Amino acid sequence: MKCKICERKAESEFCKFHKISYENLVKKFEEWKKSMDISWLEYLKMLQDNPYTGVWVKEVIQYLLSKESNGKTEKIKKHSNV
Amino acid sequence: MRIAKALENGNGFSKKTLNGVPYYEVNRGNEKLLIVSALGHLYTMTPNVASRDIFPVFNFSWAPRYMVERGAKKTKTWINVISKLSKKAQEFILATDYDIEGATLGYTILKYACGGKEKEAKRMKFSTLTAEDLQRAYENTLPHIEFPVVEAGLCRHFLDALYGINLSRAMTISAKNWSGKYSTLSIGRVQGPTLKFLVDREKEINTFIPTPYWSIKAKIEIKGSIYEAEYEREIIKTKSEADSIVNSCKNKIGRISRIEVKKILQKPPTPFDLGALQTEAYALFKYTPKRTLEIAERLYLNALISYPRTSSQKLPPSINYTSILGSLKNHPEYRDLAEFLLAKKDLTPREGKKDDPAHPAIYPTGNLPEKNLTPQEKRIWDLIVRRFMAVFGDPALKQSMKVSISVGKHTFYLRGRRILNEGWIKFYRPYVRVEEVILPELKTNDQIKFLEVIREDKFTRPPPRHNPSSLLKKMESEGIGTKSTRANIIETLYERGYINGERIIVSELGFDVIDLLNRYCPEVISVDLTRDLEESMDRIQSGNEKMENVISKAIRRLKPILEKIKEYEKDIGRELSISIRKSRLQERTLGQCLTCKTGKLMILYSRRSGKRFVGCTNFFKGICKTSFPLPQKGTIKPLHKSCSKCGWPLVQVKIKGKRPWILCINPKCPSKEGLSK
Repeated sequence: MKCKICERKAESEFCKFHKISYENLVKKFEEWKKSMDISWLEYLKMLQDNPYTGVWVKEVIQYLLSKESNGKTEKIKKHSNV
Repeated sequence: MRIAKALENGNGFSKKTLNGVPYYEVNRGNEKLLIVSALGHLYTMTPNVASRDIFPVFNFSWAPRYMVERGAKKTKTWINVISKLSKKAQEFILATDYDIEGATLGYTILKYACGGKEKEAKRMKFSTLTAEDLQRAYENTLPHIEFPVVEAGLCRHFLDALYGINLSRAMTISAKNWSGKYSTLSIGRVQGPTLKFLVDREKEINTFIPTPYWSIKAKIEIKGSIYEAEYEREIIKTKSEADSIVNSCKNKIGRISRIEVKKILQKPPTPFDLGALQTEAYALFKYTPKRTLEIAERLYLNALISYPRTSSQKLPPSINYTSILGSLKNHPEYRDLAEFLLAKKDLTPREGKKDDPAHPAIYPTGNLPEKNLTPQEKRIWDLIVRRFMAVFGDPALKQSMKVSISVGKHTFYLRGRRILNEGWIKFYRPYVRVEEVILPELKTNDQIKFLEVIREDKFTRPPPRHNPSSLLKKMESEGIGTKSTRANIIETLYERGYINGERIIVSELGFDVIDLLNRYCPEVISVDLTRDLEESMDRIQSGNEKMENVISKAIRRLKPILEKIKEYEKDIGRELSISIRKSRLQERTLGQCLTCKTGKLMILYSRRSGKRFVGCTNFFKGICKTSFPLPQKGTIKPLHKSCSKCGWPLVQVKIKGKRPWILCINPKCPSKEGLSK
């Protein structure tokens, strides 16, 4: 199986680098929600514009957002509080 | 020539050449000295099997460099000349650098070029190339060369060849057998762990998620001047709390609740060892560690500084502080500073913990430049001279002041700092940043007007990228490599395409090499293995270990690693080949095409004319015809940056003998208007 983002070898949807990035993304959301009271989508968009966000995290965000715009919203919905 | 000049004893010396190799003849009373330089290593460690396509190889021996290396033809004449001159010699004295490499290269020349004179040769020991030091070293020659050091040196060369040749061949051959194409891949016992540090850091940066936090500062007015005070807590975790603090403090009058004044004595810096000099030169002038070492070596050869490849932070009295300062006094820039120190009753340097049995810390010899130094040499020399003087300075006395201002239940701090006595800073002034904040006279219960209270939105930052200097420091603290080899290992990582940029970024190839090694042979990239070998070599040097034991242990450890690579050669070869192909493609990719927005701009070669140009990848799909001409000479490197005038990608063009320049690929770029007229 290949990573949906970079085509590296993957055991599930993502390779190990993008998997760690995705897991970090989910884990950190709670902290952001507490600090700023924002939705998952706002969180993703803010991180996308942030210069300190890691490249692999940005690639995961890009993938999640494009999935969302294509109507495949299962992950977005899962984490969204809208 | 410096040695000949120093030892001529009033009788003069003559420069001669034999087959183009210069040597010097010196008459000293009844004896005649022939002095010939070594030109670095003339011999190298090479596998006993000639074919480069075989691994593993465990049998190595010393061979003349010209027989093994392509660019080493010159060494043949050198070896022949040394052999010829040695035939008439009655006594041999080794006068190479007094360190592990100097001893090793001298040993191989004495043994192989001079016909087995390594055991009878005497040794000159010196730390500077000043006439006095060289004369002293000649008059007090050591009875023989330093054999334990030589043994450690021989062992280091063997281990480097053993690991470097076998692992690099294993990777190169695997990739070549799979793809049919040759690409040099290298990894060694120090290169591997060093690249791993960088990969680990890159992973941290690439997976980093910033966390928001807030800080608060206030603009306050004191006696008509405006100052900035910071809130008692540096980090506020929620925006709502930060807003609430701002609202309850703005437009309020505060009261000084406490004033704390502290006096701090700041000790002088320690003398430079090589690592510290390289770090400081990078911080101040952005010189890479390799460049600093090259400059320092030139200064040493000009007898301006002591031997720079040292790990010592100590300056023994035997170097004669007074005499050095007395000579430096003759330089107009250092006259006042040197006189100031010479007037002191006690000249005791501040020293660091690190020591080196062979050489003291780096210090100026006191000699003044006989010829004009390059701006780079001048900077490094000045840095070394000022550092040397600074270590004899008094501690600097600084005063810090912390004023607590209460406003309701909140507290803000106003901080001031000033230098009461500059001490050593006087000598090191251009290289030390001193920022003073002088506060007016204040007392408790004074009222303070808060003009503005500001919330600052901040984010946590990823760990910083390594630069060549911080990487060198990391290698040093992890105990891998030596002071002489670290800078070169970093350069090799650049040359192999594993890393790029001054703030180091690991390439895909670098990632894949470490990923592969991590899966198939993690020992190769572990710090423990190489640190263990370094410690073994230190034990050899101190006479507590035998070279043979260390070598057989290293072979025992390497054998199963190489067997595993052989077993998985096809998989490794496939993965490496894919990675090399990707990396080559990356090297030619400039960025996205601005015309079609979906294709990538790449450096391509015309089938008809063979000329290179930039074209869009969508050309092959018949969608986009965007193309730009490129210079045909030199090398072109994509910069992955866009032109600020037109937005098309920028490239760097490098032509031998010229300064590299940055070029926008768009010939109609507004920045080029008027250039062709």
